[in-house]
Amino acid sequence: MAGLRTKFYLDKRNRKWLGVCAGIADYTGVDVTIIRLAFVLGTVFGSGAPLLAYWIIAWMAPCKPRDQYDSDPDQKRFWQSVRANPRRTARDVRSRFRDIDRRLADVETYVTSANNRLAREIEQLR
Amino acid sequence: MHGPELIIMVVGILGILFIGLPWLVFHYVTRWKSQATITTEDENLLDELHELARRLDERMSTIERIVQADNPNWRAIAGDPVESALEDRSERSFETRRATNRPARRN
Repeated sequence: MAGLRTKFYLDKRNRKWLGVCAGIADYTGVDVTIIRLAFVLGTVFGSGAPLLAYWIIAWMAPCKPRDQYDSDPDQKRFWQSVRANPRRTARDVRSRFRDIDRRLADVETYVTSANNRLAREIEQLR
Repeated sequence: MHGPELIIMVVGILGILFIGLPWLVFHYVTRWKSQATITTEDENLLDELHELARRLDERMSTIERIVQADNPNWRAIAGDPVESALEDRSERSFETRRATNRPARRN
């Protein structure tokens, strides 16, 4: 992994102008159109501060490393949740492991009890 | 406003600008930096665990499908604490079959 996955990057691949809105959308998981609309409306009806902010962000933020363009939407959602709340994501992963553990215990009980039944059957046939 | 008042005001404004504001900024910067942040190792660990959970989940689904194909009501057996023999299971399935067949025979 070249860079941190929890940092903010400019998304140059899905950009309209400098990739700030696409970067914000990629970082947070909010739809990119909403963010662009907010920026445009804020600039037109507001003081023009969003334009300045856009420029500053584009100047300060690094471009996204090439290996971080996830083709897998599941992977993308996972990293967005990590950025939003790493602790909750870790708890989610733990709950998934617990779920797997429970299901495995079910199968184990079935297999062992089926073996016991079979053994008792054979014992009775003698 | 004359002499001393003006000087006090200028000093006050300069003080706020060059001492108060940086103080405020650095105060929040240090508080922000002291918060727990995620490192590259944490990220790698989390990524690996996520991947592992996904793979285990898939394997578990495969095993459940195999067991399901082997015996469709295995969940009832797995959740059955009574030491019942093999016939119990077959009897139960016969009973359900009889229960479904009986009305058909009467008619």
